[in-house]
Amino acid sequence: MQKKKVIDFNNETTTVKNTLFFTKRALIYAIIAIFLFLTLFPLVWVFSTSFKPNQEAIDFPPRLLPRNATLSNYVFVLTDPGLLRSLINSFVVSLGSTALSVVVSALGGYAFARFEFRGKNLIMSIILGLFMIPVVINIVPLYTMLSNVGMLNSPISLILTFQILIIPLNILLLKNYFETIPRELEEAALIDGCSRLGVLKRIIIPLSMPGFAIAAVLSFRFSWNEFVLPIVLTNRPDSAVFQVALYQFISINRIEWGYLTAGITIAIIPVLVLMLSFQKQMIKGLTVGAIRG
Amino acid sequence: MLSKNIFRKAEPYLFLTPAFAILLLFLIFPLFWNVYISLHDVSLVNLLQGWTYVGWQNFLDLFEDSNFQTSLKVTLEFVAGSVAMQFGIGLLISTLLSEKVRAGGVLLAIFIIPWTISAVIAAFSFKFMFDESFGILDYLFEKIGLPPVNWLSDPNIVIWSVVIANIWYGTPFTILFLTAGTLSINPTIYEAAVIDGASKFKSFLHITLPLLKPFIVINLILITMWSVNFFDLQLVMTGGGPMFASTTASLYMYRQAFEFGLLSKGASVGLILILINLVVAFIYVKLLRVR
Repeated sequence: MQKKKVIDFNNETTTVKNTLFFTKRALIYAIIAIFLFLTLFPLVWVFSTSFKPNQEAIDFPPRLLPRNATLSNYVFVLTDPGLLRSLINSFVVSLGSTALSVVVSALGGYAFARFEFRGKNLIMSIILGLFMIPVVINIVPLYTMLSNVGMLNSPISLILTFQILIIPLNILLLKNYFETIPRELEEAALIDGCSRLGVLKRIIIPLSMPGFAIAAVLSFRFSWNEFVLPIVLTNRPDSAVFQVALYQFISINRIEWGYLTAGITIAIIPVLVLMLSFQKQMIKGLTVGAIRG
Repeated sequence: MLSKNIFRKAEPYLFLTPAFAILLLFLIFPLFWNVYISLHDVSLVNLLQGWTYVGWQNFLDLFEDSNFQTSLKVTLEFVAGSVAMQFGIGLLISTLLSEKVRAGGVLLAIFIIPWTISAVIAAFSFKFMFDESFGILDYLFEKIGLPPVNWLSDPNIVIWSVVIANIWYGTPFTILFLTAGTLSINPTIYEAAVIDGASKFKSFLHITLPLLKPFIVINLILITMWSVNFFDLQLVMTGGGPMFASTTASLYMYRQAFEFGLLSKGASVGLILILINLVVAFIYVKLLRVR
């Protein structure tokens, strides 16, 4: 009898504990579900609208699913000469800026990972400190500088100025990645008379591809999404990037929401695909950066 | 032999030269150039001619401009609202995700989607939902019996509508950053705490928070600065209007310089923004030191 009582008592607390446990889990999942809905709803709404004709897009009351689903908005965006041009400009500028930043940051990151030199820590803090300076406060001087040398509307101006957004982060990322590669691998090559640049090219870079992937994806994201620098540094329609071309929809008297939402969907796709394919490495890379940085 | 030695010494600096050349030319030089412009009279009209020196005149004009004063107040509202909500929600979600939630990785991937898109896109998505004649928000309000809200045309409400869009757009960064921070905490510390009989809440308060503190402070610095300087959302959603009701100081800088062509007035606002940024960074760094 005595024994049974004890067991009953135990069972009771377990049930109470379990109920409490499940209530807590339910609450956690409820909050997450709400947040999931709020995160996705605006994008789902835009995505669905992109298949509605312009008139139906602004119907009231609004309907989630398109009544006359059509691809005509996408056809319009992808065949309009101005929008197509801006899409190409965006790819040129983003790829150029990604390539430049990866090369420049690899050199810088290698210097920090492998050399001992005077002022190393100071220079590192300067670079990280510079990362904190917002580019936005420089738009007026950058505009006057580049207009004085006749470089407004040039993709090169955009590629160069975008670097400010990217280089500090990429140097840190690549430095941390390089440091995980054993030094012994390159010491043999150095003894055999290989130059530092040769070591970087033949040994470090091939071994650091995951690190470069993160750096490249982040660079592309910054460049593709940047809006303020392009809108300040370009003013001719044929040099506009896609984000600026989307913004120009406002200057049309009435915004054609069907076209615009299709344009938005197109603008989301490249970065979204890249980010989702490299998501695991990105979080890992950022964590490594966080621990060491 | 000697030249080889010099090369050895110079080599790391050579590796850093390209990065520094770019930072010097497009970040540091413009900072000083900004000061020069703010002390002269420069507009889009006389940009390519001689500039006259005007001393502090631009700053004096600025402080007499009631629109600028409004923009400081709007900045405060925008920054306070955005930072409080982004941080609060970000901390909540990242904490919940660390609770061994099922499919946590997938959830995190979805939660950071707003961070992967551009501000222009976020702005248009919310402009579409906030629209006062066909927007879905007013439709939902009507459904549950609430009066429609003039999200973007009521001067008292408009900045909070932009704050809502900014919460949606900016919170993912905090989630990502704090999750990365949580992952960097050694799990054996928790195991020790559980063995010692600490409750979930207690271990959060006494282990997670103190260890996360550096991440939290850096995160707060970053999101505060971004909110101070960020004007993409306002520009696309409202153009800063109605009148100046949603013009934060940074957007005021842009509008003065590129809407009204008053470059030197914009540059002086830029300098004031730098000051605000420094103060923000200083306060947070002080907070980090305090135990």
